Amino acid sequence: MSSGTLIRSVRRSVRPLVLVAGVLLALAAPLSLNGFWLQSGLFAMAAAVSAIGLTLLVGRAGQLSLGHAFFVAVGAYGYCYLAGTSSADGVRGLGLPPLLAAFGAVVAAGTAGALFSPISGRLRGIYLGLASLGLVFLGQHILKNAIPLTGGFNGRDAAPLDLFGFSFSDSDPAGFLVLGVPYGQLERLWYVGLVCAALAWWSARNLLRSRPGRALATVRDSEVAAGAMGIDVVRYKAAAFVLSSMYAGLGGVLTALAFGRIVPDSFGLSASVAFLVMIVIGGIGSVGGAVGGAFFVTLLPLVLDHYSGRLPFLSPPGSEGLDAAGLSEFVYGLAIVLVLLFAHGGLAGFLRRAATALRRTPGRDTDRPSDDERAPLRSHTAKEPAS
Amino acid sequence: MSRAPTTGRYVALALTLAVAVMSTACGKGQDAESGDRAPGVTKDTITLGALVDLTAVFAADSKTVVQGAKLYWDTVNKNGGVCGRRIEVDVANHGYDPQKAVSLYRDMSTKVLAMSPVLGSPIVTALKPSFDRDKMLVSAATWTSQVLPDPNFQIAGATYDLETVNAVDWLTREKGLKRGDALGIVYFEGDYGGNSLKGAKHAAGELGLKLSEHRIQPTDTDLSTQVNAMKTAGVKAIVVAAASPQVASVTTVASSIGLDVPVVGNTPSFSPKLLTTPAGPALTKNFYTASSIAPAPSATGDEKRFVAAYRAAHTGEQPTQNGVMYAYAAGRIINETLSKACDDLTREGLQKAFRSLTDLDTGGAVAGTLDYSDPSVPPSRQVFISRAAKDAPGGLTAVGAPFESDLARSYPFGK
Amino acid sequence: MNEFLGFLVNGLSLGAIYALIALGFVMIFKATSVMNFAHGSIVLLGAYVVGRTHDEVGFWWAALLGILAAAAAAALVDLIVLRHARGADLGTLAILTIGVDTLLSTELTREMGTAILDAGAPWGTSTVHLGGTSVPLSRLVAALVAVVVVAVLWAVFRFTHWGVRMRAAAEDGTTAALMGIRLGRVAAGAWAIAGVLAALAGVFLTSFPSPGISPAAGVTALAAVPAWVLGGFDSFPGAVVGGLVIGVVTALSAGYQEHLLFLGRDLAQVAPYAVMFLVLLVRPSGLFGSKEFARV
Repeated sequence: MSSGTLIRSVRRSVRPLVLVAGVLLALAAPLSLNGFWLQSGLFAMAAAVSAIGLTLLVGRAGQLSLGHAFFVAVGAYGYCYLAGTSSADGVRGLGLPPLLAAFGAVVAAGTAGALFSPISGRLRGIYLGLASLGLVFLGQHILKNAIPLTGGFNGRDAAPLDLFGFSFSDSDPAGFLVLGVPYGQLERLWYVGLVCAALAWWSARNLLRSRPGRALATVRDSEVAAGAMGIDVVRYKAAAFVLSSMYAGLGGVLTALAFGRIVPDSFGLSASVAFLVMIVIGGIGSVGGAVGGAFFVTLLPLVLDHYSGRLPFLSPPGSEGLDAAGLSEFVYGLAIVLVLLFAHGGLAGFLRRAATALRRTPGRDTDRPSDDERAPLRSHTAKEPAS
Repeated sequence: MSRAPTTGRYVALALTLAVAVMSTACGKGQDAESGDRAPGVTKDTITLGALVDLTAVFAADSKTVVQGAKLYWDTVNKNGGVCGRRIEVDVANHGYDPQKAVSLYRDMSTKVLAMSPVLGSPIVTALKPSFDRDKMLVSAATWTSQVLPDPNFQIAGATYDLETVNAVDWLTREKGLKRGDALGIVYFEGDYGGNSLKGAKHAAGELGLKLSEHRIQPTDTDLSTQVNAMKTAGVKAIVVAAASPQVASVTTVASSIGLDVPVVGNTPSFSPKLLTTPAGPALTKNFYTASSIAPAPSATGDEKRFVAAYRAAHTGEQPTQNGVMYAYAAGRIINETLSKACDDLTREGLQKAFRSLTDLDTGGAVAGTLDYSDPSVPPSRQVFISRAAKDAPGGLTAVGAPFESDLARSYPFGK
Repeated sequence: MNEFLGFLVNGLSLGAIYALIALGFVMIFKATSVMNFAHGSIVLLGAYVVGRTHDEVGFWWAALLGILAAAAAAALVDLIVLRHARGADLGTLAILTIGVDTLLSTELTREMGTAILDAGAPWGTSTVHLGGTSVPLSRLVAALVAVVVVAVLWAVFRFTHWGVRMRAAAEDGTTAALMGIRLGRVAAGAWAIAGVLAALAGVFLTSFPSPGISPAAGVTALAAVPAWVLGGFDSFPGAVVGGLVIGVVTALSAGYQEHLLFLGRDLAQVAPYAVMFLVLLVRPSGLFGSKEFARV
């Protein structure tokens, strides 16, 4: 047995173990994590679901979108509207069963993506990116003015999810214990988040390897070639937008559940930019990268704030020197720049190279995305970049 | 796959993990159940949580509020603290991001007895369900009557709508505004501006005024178009429910195009730093604030010493009405609440003590005496009218004593 | 009618400032294919340097310092950061500038603290009366400066060696490089010029009728994005026209807010983007942008 085959066989037996260990840890996490970590983790999972949608759109279909937060908002508000009840202050709701409402919200987000197709189907590259930026502002305007639907500036409450009488909130059943640990809203929602994230991951990986997935990659690389091969370019581009919006919608439903109450400011320009940062840091086009990027971007400021008290060089908040808040912003900015400059292909690319370097064997690895999958978004302008 | 790993390994791994998780689980379970002492209270300290914006749009305001709160509690601690305990303030920055705020609050809620202060209205709104869950007493750095029926909120005096009602009433008495005149209002979207607008509409209806309404966003700093439109509408006075950049723009544009009318702002609308900019002359001529918080020159007793200490500790900073002076007032109200709850330092005990404050005298820091017994009405309906004055500490001096107009007294709350 | 004229003049003068910023976007995009999200911070930096120094050295020297600082900062962003990512995709480059923007704006916000600086411009709060309406003098100066800048830029591109190199590089980078044009220098130069334009815009954005320099100026600069897109992202005349259109649309929708309530309040924030959508539906490359090379 050569060293290469030995390593491969070890890897094969270790891999499922690692997978099982990871799943078990994820399932058991609410037993030991406190509210802060559960809340942050839930936000990260919601972001991951949305980011997977964006990485399919940008990395696979080559359509740059700065308006992802708009579709997340459609999902979040759609859920609140469908599941919520009408209240005295003029905010309406349909009072549907929450599961149906969540489904409806995802469909609503997909529909919003379809409605945008007259623009998304015609524009490419930078034009699509900047046009979709307009969606964010349009979205904010609607969220703040369509009060019966959205509650306006003050937002609206999200009805807790409910499955066959089991409520994902602090009550119904109240005082629910698992292994002696009280399971409240966050602990229960944790599993909803896990299921959604796993579902999004699995479906996206499958899609990438499917026939439509490869067709999309062809559209990304050359619309002319794709057209010549009989791919309906406009339809595929519109479909990619719809699909990505549906992931965003699911992420939005999760966000609404994790918040308990949503306000328009959660779905502004900075949120849209954050989604793009997630997939770029993670490695454009890589599903795992999108998840990693989502966790990185969501957790970094929180973790820094959480542990800043232990850093001796920081000055107290509100004083003139560098405080934890400032440091967290600097680290965020610096992380973006450094990852993009020194880790080509984002964190996913970095890990892949590290693994290759460690193995030092040119062995076949079926889980590795082909170069094609990682191919970056091209600029579809008439002219080549100047340098 | 060529060879499946033995099931034995899975079982071993699963068992190890289960043991590891269960041992930590026990730790969490005990934590949650050891309820003999409330979060944030130890034998010799009480911790309060401050959730503010130190990096985004309200960074400047947040800094002065935090400075004021720290100074106030330092002074209290030097004089023996409250309930025999030191008061500590745990400050976190939400950067005006509701998601960050919700996560940070989760962390904080297990470590603090009460929140003082919380800044930013979308943040307060997003956190409302969390405050309800924890029965957390919150002194929000906001005066919106939209939080009113909620028992968790401690408002330092009259709400924005009452400020505006009193201001309009004052304009009719002192500045010649009369029935049939037009009144301009420039307001932020959201519960601050919206609340002030509500007061303005009520006052305009009662006094027979025409309103010229202009809604803006915090990033709008050039309001020449709006002021021109108000000039065309022939306004005789302007109310600004916005922040200091908007006040500066409205006041200077108005006087530069010959619209020489009084401009009254709500509590958050003014910064003394404006007085050294080109906006200074127009502000000192025409600008007033209507606020339940006393301007720095009106401070007496302890508050006067506090102002002096602040000016000594922070050279180049001003004791602002809506930052430093507010922090003093909020600190003082929390202090009184804690002192009443010494025997029962829990969230419930604190709420009970808070609602038992019926004629709290803050030594003039807040206009009027404060009555917190009914959560559905503000604790007071009085305001100070202050005018911009270049040499006054904090840039404002009171015009007359605090008052409560008839219109404010009859102003309805609740539906 | 007078009211309309007032809004129109106001909008055109605001549009002149947007045009300055949009020209910077075009400049950077033509030279390096970067969608520069750090532009807002550079606008802010220029204004901040003017605000900090004008008390000691006087406004004109301060303005020069601000312009130099912004130009240097922009060129450094290109040299230190973007040079190492040439040829990367649009998304990556855009995010890189977002990272730079975060760093720069955090530091500037920290430096400013609670202070409100003003640009200290000699025209102060004076207003000029023009045919029954009044315009801030600062806005007239801004419009004048914009006209001069456009003329100078045109002349530079038309008549100087650097301009020819720049045009060649933008037309076909590879060929230009083969002809001995040093693309790196051309790129850094383009960024520096964009920095100059940003600093000029920053001074006018933060002086009367705006109250002074605050971090919000960086956000306001983003309002020039629809102007840039509307005009066509690689067209200088497009940036000017786009800026003016967006300025007028903003002013009109703010001025007639009360008559347009059925569209929701606060229309001025969203109206520029609505106009942008409409234009893109009719002309996917903007008003003056290069046509795409193939249709399927």
